[in-house]
Amino acid sequence: MDRPVVLSINNLTKMFGGLCAVNDFSGSLKENQIIGIIGPNGAGKTTILNTVSGVYPPTQGQIIFKGTDISKFQPHKINHMGIARTFQNIRLFQDMTVLETIMTAYSWRSPYSIFESMFSFPRVARYEKEIKEKSMHFLEKVNLVECAEVNAQSLPYGMQRRVEIARALASEPLVLLLDEPGAGLNQTEVHDLVELIKGLHKELGLSIILIDHRMDVIMNLCEWIYVQDFGKCIAQGTPEEIQKNPIVIKAYLGEEINNA
Amino acid sequence: MGFYLTLAINIAVFSIAVLGTFMLTGMNGLFSLGQAAFMGLGAYISAILVVNYHLPFALAVLISILTCAFLAFLVGSATLRIRQDFFALATFGFGQAVTAFMTEYVSVTGGAMGFSNIPNFTTPALAFISLAVAIFIVWSIRRSHYGRDSLAIRSNELAAKVEGINVLKHKVIIFIIAAAFAAYAGALMAFHTRYVEPNMYGWITSVTWIIIVYFGGRDSLTGTIIGAIILYLAPEILRFTTAWRILIYCVIILLIINIRPRGLFGTWELSFKPLLKLFRSKKQEVN
Amino acid sequence: MDSNVILQQIINGLSLGAIYALIAVGFAIIVNVLKFSNFAHGGVLGISAYAGYIVANQFNLTLIPVILVGMATGALVAVLVEFVAFRWIRLQKGQLVYFFVTSVTMLMLLEQILIIRFGAFFDTYPYDLIKVKTIKIGELTVSVTYLISLVATIIAFGVLIYVLKKTKIGIAIRAASNDMIATSLMGINTNMVIIAAFIVSGMLGGLSGVLYGISTSLAPQIGQVVVKGFIASLLGGLGSLTGVAVAAVVLGVLEVFLIATIGSGLSPVVIFLLMITFLLVRPQGFAGVSFADKA
Repeated sequence: MDRPVVLSINNLTKMFGGLCAVNDFSGSLKENQIIGIIGPNGAGKTTILNTVSGVYPPTQGQIIFKGTDISKFQPHKINHMGIARTFQNIRLFQDMTVLETIMTAYSWRSPYSIFESMFSFPRVARYEKEIKEKSMHFLEKVNLVECAEVNAQSLPYGMQRRVEIARALASEPLVLLLDEPGAGLNQTEVHDLVELIKGLHKELGLSIILIDHRMDVIMNLCEWIYVQDFGKCIAQGTPEEIQKNPIVIKAYLGEEINNA
Repeated sequence: MGFYLTLAINIAVFSIAVLGTFMLTGMNGLFSLGQAAFMGLGAYISAILVVNYHLPFALAVLISILTCAFLAFLVGSATLRIRQDFFALATFGFGQAVTAFMTEYVSVTGGAMGFSNIPNFTTPALAFISLAVAIFIVWSIRRSHYGRDSLAIRSNELAAKVEGINVLKHKVIIFIIAAAFAAYAGALMAFHTRYVEPNMYGWITSVTWIIIVYFGGRDSLTGTIIGAIILYLAPEILRFTTAWRILIYCVIILLIINIRPRGLFGTWELSFKPLLKLFRSKKQEVN
Repeated sequence: MDSNVILQQIINGLSLGAIYALIAVGFAIIVNVLKFSNFAHGGVLGISAYAGYIVANQFNLTLIPVILVGMATGALVAVLVEFVAFRWIRLQKGQLVYFFVTSVTMLMLLEQILIIRFGAFFDTYPYDLIKVKTIKIGELTVSVTYLISLVATIIAFGVLIYVLKKTKIGIAIRAASNDMIATSLMGINTNMVIIAAFIVSGMLGGLSGVLYGISTSLAPQIGQVVVKGFIASLLGGLGSLTGVAVAAVVLGVLEVFLIATIGSGLSPVVIFLLMITFLLVRPQGFAGVSFADKA
């Protein structure tokens, strides 16, 4: 298990006014690893993801990616460096087809200037065609090819999730942050999602940080788990270790289980 | 020049300004109450350069557009970082400041009495070709990633950011282009009506353009143009005074937003695709 | 300037600031509850100012009834605005930008109504509405109008604070400002709360309209003074009514000094530049909370 560390979070603290959402969290993500952050609601899991993706800067601490501290970077810059994410409450764009939604990931890489786009220079149409094909490629990976021209927001929830994942993949990232991808899905859909993530992880060699509080998702996917409670990290370990950890059980169920 | 031709030129030039607002407010959801100030600046700068300094028309217009673009760059960079409604306020303040400026410097601008005796350089050809080019530019932008990014930013800015879109840069670029459109329209209008005065370019004018965009449908380019024509012509034909005209615009847009918020034309666009398909299939038949 | 003149200007500034504070707080209440800027507040102000003017002229009422008429008109118009411009969008959970369009439209609409009815010219409140014009305090000549503004503002704020802190509806308004959904989950009828907020906002708007109309002159464009309220809200910060009131008073004093030094023509320019600079340095305002998007 001697893989290099791709992302390391050191002593991350985030305060909102007087409220401490994340209290001194440290963790690291190795290459091609899937790690999980679990914990009850309000434990600070999404906040960690938000600071890593640049939604807001941490109050204290560093986030090291590719040898640089990205904690004060803007979200788009972090994306350019190779981190992509999905959201807990699906954030799709209004009035866009599924394909167009995926294509937004390619905007920043476009080779043409505003001037060229103002006058429909041939380069514009050429690049549009190119990214259409590339986006279809990611639609294939999430099994949504038939829905390419459908309005993304009109799809059922489970498929919207997949659109979001495809959109994040289209950034061609090194690191993928998934914020409660199983939220709002039924048993079957969750199972399919887990299989999808497993497949993508293997195929694309992604390093993934996964947040969820559904055990079936976390235990099936993660190699290493951090447990958050009230902003603090109360435990970390492999899925087996975490399942047996009395501190974790207490945090989730609020009482000690005397019988192992 | 005949009455109808004059009217047609008015509408064409007016539509160019509205197209700027279509890009800024319709496509990008940026609410600027100072757009008309750019039209005013375009008008005044080009008029002053030609009348007082005897510069050639084309050069004067170019300078006025570039000046407004630069100003838009400054104002936009400063104000587009902040919340939406603060941006509206900031642009309102900008509009007020520009109007105050134009009224104060009587010696240069003629003050509140306005600036007149501007030569008539806006030919019908210039007006209509300009409109055609303006429509082409907006249409082109929409088809490029800038159009998609606009919609993305308008509907979910945070998601746009994490997909790598530099939201501030995009907004500033659009703001500059919209300002350039308004400035050009201002210049054309000045050399058509041959007269400019400061209170033609206040926030009420800016809001009128926004109303027209939402009336036609902020997602429909065709809708905006047709809406501009309808809302410009109807009061003319019905001979309304300014106050009544504005009042009726207000009532119309209140009705539209409450009953059909997508606007009259929704997302419909005039499209030549079906015609092209017909043409291609006929060709195949022949072959 | 000698110290008397400076003091004089400060007092003028404070009373102008007091009126601005009334406008700003009336405006800010809606911003806090509905989370968007209600430009139509200017229209409420304008109509109320003219309503007061009409009763003062036609029925020869004295000051206090005129103010009451103004406040009642304000409340009425505000609720009307809510119904016509905002209710539908709110119930359909429309996007924020639609509120901008309708609120600016209402401001324009109400102004045009005034223009059509009263013409585009200036008018003034009857000269003897306030019997004594000025009083002397030591070396200073203070305009009674200004004093009345100050007193009225203090009273209004006192009542407002009482309402917001001690009455059921006031607490409901504050709850709704904090979290509309939670408030409705508590069984409070949010529609009623919103109407109540508009009534309070309207009354403040009416009061400020009448006072402003008396202090200056009346013109259909009077509603545009709401921009000062907007600037104060911005500088004071979202969520803090006190911050907004203080910012408004500061703005009033600043404006009086600017007009005295560079004239009323160019003061919009300076205020604009100051505002931009302030926004760049501290976008959340003096006392406001940082507005962070929930991811």
